[in-house]
Amino acid sequence: MVKSELINRSPLRILEKSIQGGVGKGNIGVIASRKGVGKTACLVHIATDKLFRERHVIHVSFSKRTDHIISWYEDIFNEISKKRELVNAVEVHDEIIKNRVIMNFSQEGVEISQILKSLEAMIVSGNFKADSVVVDGFDFDNISDEDLDLIKDFAKDLDLEIWFSVSLKGEEPIFDEENFPVELKSIISKLDVVLTLKYDDQSIRMDVVKDHDSDMKEELHLMLDPKTLLIIEE
Amino acid sequence: MSLESKLRNIGISAHIDSGKTTLTERILFYCNKIHAIHEVRGKDGVGATMDSMELEKERGITIASAATNVEWKGTPINIIDTPGHVDFTVEVERALRVLDGAVLVLCSVGGVQSQSITVDRQLKRYNVPRLAFVNKCDRTGANPYKVKEQLKDKLGLNAVMMQVPIGLEDKHEGVVDLVSMKALYFDGGDDGISQVVKEIPADLVAEVEEKREELIDALSMFSDELAELFLEGEDLPEELIHEAVRKGTLAREFVPVFLGSAYKNKGVQPLLDAVNSYLPAPRDVDNIALDLDNNEEEIVLKSDPAAPTVALAFKLEDGQYGQLTYVRVYQGTMKKGDELYNVRTRKKFKIGRLIRMHADKTEDINEAGCGDIVALFGIDCSSGDTFCKTGLNYSMTSMYVPEPVISLAINPVDKKAADNMAKALNRFTKEDPTFRTYVDDESNQTIIQGMGELHLEVYIERMKREYKAEVETGMPQVAYRETISRMAPFDYTHKKQTGGSGQYGKVVGFMEPLKEGHYEFVNDIKGGKIPTEYIPACDKGFQASLKKGRLIGFPVVGVKVTINDGQSHSVDSSDMAFQSAAIGAFKQAYEKAAPEILEPIMKVTVEGPTEFQGNIFGSINQRRGVIVSSVEDGNYSSVEAEVPLSEMFGYSTTLRSLTQGKAEFTMEFLKHGKVPKGIQEELIKEFQAKK
Repeated sequence: MVKSELINRSPLRILEKSIQGGVGKGNIGVIASRKGVGKTACLVHIATDKLFRERHVIHVSFSKRTDHIISWYEDIFNEISKKRELVNAVEVHDEIIKNRVIMNFSQEGVEISQILKSLEAMIVSGNFKADSVVVDGFDFDNISDEDLDLIKDFAKDLDLEIWFSVSLKGEEPIFDEENFPVELKSIISKLDVVLTLKYDDQSIRMDVVKDHDSDMKEELHLMLDPKTLLIIEE
Repeated sequence: MSLESKLRNIGISAHIDSGKTTLTERILFYCNKIHAIHEVRGKDGVGATMDSMELEKERGITIASAATNVEWKGTPINIIDTPGHVDFTVEVERALRVLDGAVLVLCSVGGVQSQSITVDRQLKRYNVPRLAFVNKCDRTGANPYKVKEQLKDKLGLNAVMMQVPIGLEDKHEGVVDLVSMKALYFDGGDDGISQVVKEIPADLVAEVEEKREELIDALSMFSDELAELFLEGEDLPEELIHEAVRKGTLAREFVPVFLGSAYKNKGVQPLLDAVNSYLPAPRDVDNIALDLDNNEEEIVLKSDPAAPTVALAFKLEDGQYGQLTYVRVYQGTMKKGDELYNVRTRKKFKIGRLIRMHADKTEDINEAGCGDIVALFGIDCSSGDTFCKTGLNYSMTSMYVPEPVISLAINPVDKKAADNMAKALNRFTKEDPTFRTYVDDESNQTIIQGMGELHLEVYIERMKREYKAEVETGMPQVAYRETISRMAPFDYTHKKQTGGSGQYGKVVGFMEPLKEGHYEFVNDIKGGKIPTEYIPACDKGFQASLKKGRLIGFPVVGVKVTINDGQSHSVDSSDMAFQSAAIGAFKQAYEKAAPEILEPIMKVTVEGPTEFQGNIFGSINQRRGVIVSSVEDGNYSSVEAEVPLSEMFGYSTTLRSLTQGKAEFTMEFLKHGKVPKGIQEELIKEFQAKK
């Protein structure tokens, strides 16, 4: 399969369709689940899909080392190219990773303002024309409305969309009757798209629980492949 | 105990400016090898003893690794002082090859910096067990615990504190030893020679208890006995703790962390005790040689003094009385007057003088046991040669030598300089396998090649100082490569009739990109269209074409050539004719094969205060660099990028001005990558203009 066909047949097209084409520039998307369900894999898959489409992505992380993150990307890319029998996989890989930057913050409790400052340095001074920023592992416990406004203004100013992964830590039930994460209810108005991941029997299901201002909540029929953690059709 | 069970061969590896040379100097001092302390940048103009070259004294860096022998509490220790700058990494690598253990020196403020990461990777490659020494604890901002955490996080080492500092920064007085549970002070007034042992200061008791528990907890993996006693709350015998630390260290599963300040004479003697207690003796390590008579089969060498001698020349230096060759004896004994065999040159030689080195002073000895590091005088050899007792044909595993990435044309200013330059180049190429030289047959200029700008600069300086060879230099030139990107056929007839017998040869086939390797030749001729005797001539013709590519005159790599048809003439065909035919065929197909230029891409790490992040990102972007990642840790950031070498000239100056001198960078060769179209055209234009 060549790259363009791979892009067209990606299950992420289904996701996009159900959230009105995507999170959108100046907006915030969130993937929420319990720890260890597959948020990072999802974010990396979403980012890799952008890279395939020649977009520029900044991956923000808060781990001790960056090589783990790089190997996430390597794994997801290899799984996709193997599954789709991608033509010229090595060349495509070398071409797309040029458009990815990993920014890692290893200090504890780093402020939103500092993260945005560093992102701006990369985008403006470093002339890295990011289309999307994916933020993995940021602690949402103490995030305020003002912080979220700051992030949205930043996203608007620099014309990019931002994805966050959010680890749900509260007691069961962590989702309300509408399947919305209880912990995120207080900031619901600031989030544009919210996806959830949860175990459903043996598989991990992906649901859209907020889609911009729309009330439509179609079944997504997407899940994570339990072996590769790729997003696949049910 | 025999010599080899007590001997230690250790290296001291570190990031530049971590105080490695100062530490070495103090070790020599405490081992009574020198009588006074000098600094690297000595105010007294004498300079540290290990920095034997003038240039190193001037720049405050150590370039060549001098081996020196000391003795600490009855244990002989050979110390190799290794260079800290990445441009001299091959020197570090060679030193590591002959070491059994290493002390990784870290700055208590700077912590694990990019160079420490490179050095650590090398230590891992050669399976060298190590101790860590957190130096400069007297500096403002000193934090040995943070450094220990970095050893864990950044290098993935199981690093555990062996000591607790008594005061830090300007209040740094000494250390608490977590094994003996005693406080050690070094303020006896005699440059720290006499250690003062006291009880643990009251305000440190809680911290010491906590760290001791961490230590014992980590060690229980290596000693069941210790784990049991610990669980039962019994007293732990010191000997048992030492044994466990040694076991973990030798297995490279544990890195004991010591601390102090070499400059302030604190913590050096306990570190020496640790070298004796925890680092391996030569016989604790398996060394492998390749048996050249037996298909390079791996042989484990015996640390038996009676076994046939095997030794490795790992370092050459110009001594007062001619070439000095540093060797490590791996098996058997080396005696004055013995006859040895150089496996590479297949020549026998006799050992005239055998010497033990102390930095710049020498001591004549009669024999060296196995595991020992000594020097020979007047032996003609290159660095990396293996010497065996006649009859053996072993080679020590070949040392990894990277390809040079940069070259520079040099012109001697006069006749005398030319003679001296030849001598110097001959010496340098023998000393350093990454430094190469050749005469370009078109421009007739002498070209030197190496691993980076600084690498070549240092040799030019040495030529001037040590050999009085003044040279003018051209612009540094990147080592480009050419390659092809698609299949292209050829059908070429070489025909010449110049009276008498002519020349005739016809070759038909195709060339295509080769994914791995430089060149492959496939003979697919059926029915003797080209007689077998001329096939090697075809191969030779193609290989000759690879030497200078047709785009910009750099070597062509990644080409597979297949010949499948051709024609010969019973009278006019010859080796010559077919070689010319192949050259013609290559020319014919090369342009159709969409040739491309490849350039060396360097892995560049820039470290500096976070406030300058934007400038650093910008400077990389301007250099066609791709930022792979950035890591922020409080006020300190490190950026990793891939940048073409051709864009890195003068980067140190730019970086200095962009960051008020507060950022630094290291780089090493990563891969060859395609040059962008526009630049390819420019390079071709330049090449055409020069022609």
